[in-house]
Amino acid sequence: MDRRQFVGICAASAAALSTHSWHALAAGVQEFPAVKLVDAQGVPLKAATLATHQAYLFNYPFRAVPCFLINLGKPSAKAQLLSGESGSYEWPGGAGAQHNLVSYIAICTHQMSYPNKATSVIRYAGDGSELAEKPGMIVCCAHGSVFDPAAGAVKVSGPAEQPLIPVRLEVDPLDDSISATGVAANELIERFFQAYKVDFIAEYGPGGYRQPVEASARTVLLDQFSKTVTNC
Amino acid sequence: MSNEQSRRDFLKLGGTALAMGASGLAAAATTAPGAAKNQAAAVSTAIKADLPKAKGPRLVVVGAGTSGLTIAKYAKRYYPTFDVVLVEKRDMYASCFSSNLWYAGLVDLEFLADHSFLDAAVNNKYIYFNATVTGLDRTSRKLVTNKGEIDYDYLVLAPGIDYDYGKIGVTDAAAVAALHQTYPGGFTQSTEHVTIRRKVREFEGGVFLQSVPSGNYRCLPAPYERACMIASVIKKNKLKGKVLILDANPEITIKAQGFHAAFDELYKGIIEWRASSPIIGVDVEKKQVSTDVETISFDDAAIYPNVRGAILIEQLGLMAPSSHSNQKEAHIDTRFNNFIGDERVYVTGDSRNQPYSKSANTSNTEGHTIARVLAARAQGKEPEWVAPQTICYSMVNADPMEAISVDAGYDYDAKTDLITGFSKTTKVFNDRSTARAQATLEWARGIYRDIFNA
Repeated sequence: MDRRQFVGICAASAAALSTHSWHALAAGVQEFPAVKLVDAQGVPLKAATLATHQAYLFNYPFRAVPCFLINLGKPSAKAQLLSGESGSYEWPGGAGAQHNLVSYIAICTHQMSYPNKATSVIRYAGDGSELAEKPGMIVCCAHGSVFDPAAGAVKVSGPAEQPLIPVRLEVDPLDDSISATGVAANELIERFFQAYKVDFIAEYGPGGYRQPVEASARTVLLDQFSKTVTNC
Repeated sequence: MSNEQSRRDFLKLGGTALAMGASGLAAAATTAPGAAKNQAAAVSTAIKADLPKAKGPRLVVVGAGTSGLTIAKYAKRYYPTFDVVLVEKRDMYASCFSSNLWYAGLVDLEFLADHSFLDAAVNNKYIYFNATVTGLDRTSRKLVTNKGEIDYDYLVLAPGIDYDYGKIGVTDAAAVAALHQTYPGGFTQSTEHVTIRRKVREFEGGVFLQSVPSGNYRCLPAPYERACMIASVIKKNKLKGKVLILDANPEITIKAQGFHAAFDELYKGIIEWRASSPIIGVDVEKKQVSTDVETISFDDAAIYPNVRGAILIEQLGLMAPSSHSNQKEAHIDTRFNNFIGDERVYVTGDSRNQPYSKSANTSNTEGHTIARVLAARAQGKEPEWVAPQTICYSMVNADPMEAISVDAGYDYDAKTDLITGFSKTTKVFNDRSTARAQATLEWARGIYRDIFNA
C-alpha cells in the first residue's frame, strides 16, 4: 500500500516539475521532502558551476547519512532498471540539462565505510586512481570496491555486491539550483544507523542522527568535509 | 639435513595420527569392538546439546573467527531457511588481525575486542553455542562437543591454525610449552597478544627477536609489520636496542619494496633483517636461537614457529595427505571447500589447504563464497565459485601513521584443479602514506562490521 502511494506521489511530482531528472516511472523510490543543496554560506549551488574532479558531500535524507553529489562533466548513461539489496529500482540517469549530475548515498554497500569528519576512505576519483585505473570512478579503499557513477554506481570491481544507492536530484531550470528529493528504497540506512549508533549518539545526541534534513543541506567538497581523504 | 629428517618424522607422525583419527571416527560412529575404550565411553555417555529444535536444515559452523562468523551470517542471509548454530570455544572475542597496531598504541584493546558473539548472533539470526568440539561422526552427521552432541545437515569447520614447533627444531613437549609461554608467536591465542604487548612496553634495550617462519604462515606481512611497530616504540623511547628479524625466507615474503624502504628510511640501525635464516633450535633458558650458521642471543622475543592446519582437523580425520598439504591442512575441494567425498562437511579459513594467504580478508571473502555454496547446495542448485581476495594493509610507521598495502586475487586452473597463485590483477601499493594508514584502520572496522553487525 505504502509502495503504491510512493510511486503515485513520485509520478505526480515528477510530472508536475517536468525537470530533466527522475523519470515518471521510478520504481522503488522512497520519497523524502525536497532539500535544496547550498554552499557553506547557505547560498544555493548552481549546477553549471560544480567542480568535476571530486565529489561534493551533503547529508540527506537524515542528518547522519552522507551523500555524494557528482558532476560527471559529461552525460551519464541512460536511465535503467537496477537490482539492489531491497529489490529492483529505476536509476534515472543524470539530472540537469546535460544529464551530468548524479548523487548516491556515500556509504559503501560492502562494509559500510563512509566519509566522516576525520576521514574518508571512499571518494569519487574524477581524475583517476591507482585502484580504478581509469578516471571517473567511485573507489572505496577499505577493501577495494570500485563503482561507476555514470552508470548507476554499479560495481565495476572489488568485493561489493550491490550498487551504491542513488539519490534523486532535481535541477530547477529557472535558477539552476539543485534539490535532493528522494532515495532508492533500501535497508542499508537502518543497518548503517545500527552499526554506528554509539558514534552517532555521541555526535548528534540520542535520536539526532535519524532526524530528517529539512529545507537545505550544506554541500561542500569531500576534502573540506573530511580531514583526511584516502588516496588509492 | 636436520630439516629433512624432521620432515620425514613428521610425515610418519602424520600418517600414524591419521590412522588413529580414522579409527577414532569408527569408534564414535559404531562403538565397534576393538575400538579404544575411551572413545567408546564417550559415546555411551552421549547427551544432546541443549539447543532448540532445528526449524530448517541445520548448518553448524565451528569457530567464530573471521571465517566462521562470516559464514554463519551470510549462509543465513543467502538462504534464510537455514537454522544456523555457531559453535565457539571462546566466550570473549579478540581479533588476531590488527593486533600489531596495539603494540605501538595505535589502537586500544577495545578496537580488537569490543565485539560480542551474542550481538553477532542476534543481529544475524543464528545461535551462538559456547562449546568445544571433541568429535565428529560423518555417517550419522553428529558433531560431538563438551556440551553434548549436535545433529547437523551441513557442517563448516573453521578452526584456524595451530603452531608447528617441530619445524623450528623444538620437539620436546616441555620445551615447546616453555617456548610458547615465554616467547609466544602472537598468531593464535589472544593471551599471546597480551604478553607481547607487555614485552614491548617493558623493553629497555638490547635485541628484540622477531622470527619469520617458512611455509604458508598466517598473515605474510605481519612479522615485518610487527617489527616496524616494535621499532617505532624503540625509536620513541630512544632506547639502545633493535629488532632483529630472523627470516627463514630469502626475501621479505610480501610488499618487500615497501618494507625495505621502511626499514632503511625509518628504522636504520633499529631494524636488522637477516634473510635465509631459519631457526633450527631455541634455548629458552639461555635466550638463544640457533640457525644453520650461528647461535644468536636475544633479550626478548616473539618467536613465530611454522603453522599447520588446526589439530582439530587432524583429530576429526579431515587432514589432507602430505601430497596435498605439507602443513597438515584439510583435505577439501579446491573451489567449494567440502571435504573430499562429503558435500555436507566443509573446512574454511586458515585450516584450508589452498595456497591462499592466511589473512582475515581472505577468510572474509572466502566466507561469502562458501555461504553461497551452502545456500545453493541446500536448495539442490549448482554452486558458483568466486576467488577470494586478499586486501591487506601493513602499518609501517607509527608517528605519523603510514601504511602500505596489497590487493591480491587468485587464479584457478581447471585442468589441474589447482590454485596457481596470485592473479595478474594483483596490485601492491609500496609507497607508504598517511591516507593508507586511515584505510588500514577502516579495513579492520569494516570486517568487524561485516561479521558482528547486521
